[in-house]
Amino acid sequence: MIFIYEYSITKTFMKTIKQINEKIRKGEAVVVRADEMPEIYEENPRKAAKEVDVVTTGTFGVMCSSGAFLNFGHSDPPIKMQKVWLNEVEAYTGIAAVDAYIGATELSMDKGLEYGGGHVIEDLVSRKEVDLRATSYGSDCYPRKKIETTLTIDDLSQAVMVNPRNCYQRYKAAINSTNTILHTYMGTLLPDKRNVNFAGTGEISPLANDPNLEVVGVGTRIFLCGAQGIILGEGTQSSPPTGYATIRTQGNLKEMSKEFLAGASILGYGASLFIGIGIPIPILDERIARNTAVRNEDIRVDVLDFGVPKRDRPVVGQVSYAELFSGRIEIDGKKVKTSPLSSLKKSLEIMDTLKGWIQGKEFFLSETIQPLPKDSISKPMKQRKMVPFVGEIMTKRVITAHPEDSIDSVAETLVRKEIDQIPIVDAERKLVGIVTSWDITKAVALKKKKLGDIMTRNVINSRQDEYIDAVSRRFEKYKIHSTPVVNDKKELVGIITMADILHSGVTNKLRSKTKK
Amino acid sequence: MNKYMLKIPSEVVDSPIIATTVLETEVMVNILRAKVDYDEGTIVISILGDAEEQRRVVEALRGKGVEVSKLEKNITNDLKKCVNCGACIALCPTDAISFNADHSIRVESEKCIRCGACVVACPLRSLSIQVI
Repeated sequence: MIFIYEYSITKTFMKTIKQINEKIRKGEAVVVRADEMPEIYEENPRKAAKEVDVVTTGTFGVMCSSGAFLNFGHSDPPIKMQKVWLNEVEAYTGIAAVDAYIGATELSMDKGLEYGGGHVIEDLVSRKEVDLRATSYGSDCYPRKKIETTLTIDDLSQAVMVNPRNCYQRYKAAINSTNTILHTYMGTLLPDKRNVNFAGTGEISPLANDPNLEVVGVGTRIFLCGAQGIILGEGTQSSPPTGYATIRTQGNLKEMSKEFLAGASILGYGASLFIGIGIPIPILDERIARNTAVRNEDIRVDVLDFGVPKRDRPVVGQVSYAELFSGRIEIDGKKVKTSPLSSLKKSLEIMDTLKGWIQGKEFFLSETIQPLPKDSISKPMKQRKMVPFVGEIMTKRVITAHPEDSIDSVAETLVRKEIDQIPIVDAERKLVGIVTSWDITKAVALKKKKLGDIMTRNVINSRQDEYIDAVSRRFEKYKIHSTPVVNDKKELVGIITMADILHSGVTNKLRSKTKK
Repeated sequence: MNKYMLKIPSEVVDSPIIATTVLETEVMVNILRAKVDYDEGTIVISILGDAEEQRRVVEALRGKGVEVSKLEKNITNDLKKCVNCGACIALCPTDAISFNADHSIRVESEKCIRCGACVVACPLRSLSIQVI
């Protein structure tokens, strides 16, 4: 039954792109925003498919895999740039003499995480002056070895935005189960699952309105940061079978607007670029209309624990965009505040702008050259050697104490065992605190008797199933050299020290040498 | 509007200023935020009383050498920079930042306790805390 239905629909479209463009030319095209479509469709699906010609979709969010090709023109005497910096942000110039690609996440040499490629692109679009510095080795045809100049986007021959990966169909939400604050590309994540950050615009997200990639394809004309751009192909890491399709986009940077693009600096992560994208969905038949009638309730995403710094982060829960947009979701029976990282306001402006362009006969739909691949998957990196887990290299025999133990007995243990700190566990071996020799000194000065009175309760700890790189990062961040190790139940299972990690590196090297 | 910022100078940092003020004035004080070191301190409080009671508390504090300023303009959002993404919202401990019906960011400065969590987390650097 379903087969026959789909077959008949795909074979006989109600409308063609050509017919819709004709209507646009005559000023008769019916254009609606994606957020208006569910109601229109549910009232009368057949009528909606017949009468609505185009549904505009939109998103405005940080898209790290973005950048721009720039051509600076030739200097006199000419230089073949080997390295080039724009406002001290390096651009890749291993392409001919004066071409370069500036990537959104490249960081500046002088301002660190505060300024990067995304900001350079914003400055160019804002028509601000940008400092250029380039160096080279010199050749017979390009004798010059150094150049420093100042230019604006209008001084460039071409400035073309080409983004390898934009516009995720939907995106995972992020939470943090650890007891310390995390600064991630998904924003600031408070400890103990106190907030959830999410990206994407749900029911108005462009690819969520064409989940089977039936009408969006190579060559589709789109709204890109205020200019008319095109879809070049599938985006990197695109994964349509799992509902995470992406696209590669291109547009003329010179025509883009500061309104729909902004450099971003994400605390502790680095620089990036807010990108605004709008895709017009041509309503060729009832099934395509039905896909654009998707609601936030229907689009579900996983909430991932960013407290586990692994490629495959554990799923803590599953929620819909309706719940995420409500401002609070329920995790482990508790209400947790949510923050979007994409701007709904800008996305609506994009949808309205695109609608205005179509109604004003400034924007016509394009036929696709070929469909986007529907079966791609995002592969993990092939690695020759695995990084060890904490559990593999930690010290398993740990000397512990209990909160009710006396200061004197613990002081004696520290001296006898030649250690400078001791994890404190309860009767069930759950980690409840830590005491250092400095705490003991303080206890003596303040005349405290019990460990429970002086121990640090919020202990920075590691988990046995973490990679040691995550622990090294923790040591660096908190300027410490060891942490207790716990399992899923928060039971103490060991201790990991800087020495353990250094030692594992040495044995690893020895191991790989003996293999050869 | 009952929030005040107290600067505790080093001379009095080791005396129980808030406690004695509460006992003297018999007005409740809620400590919203406190950073006290050995040499000085900054405390943000709300005074749970009417205008007259608030005035009494402020006077009592000033009498103890504390610098008191009323917190009215705390957090501000530069609308020229803000893209209304909302990265700040869930970080605010007092719900001073939220969305308007049109999805733009609403900042209620009087609810702000000047913790600064949103300021550093804003990808556009559009939020700032006004200097008193």
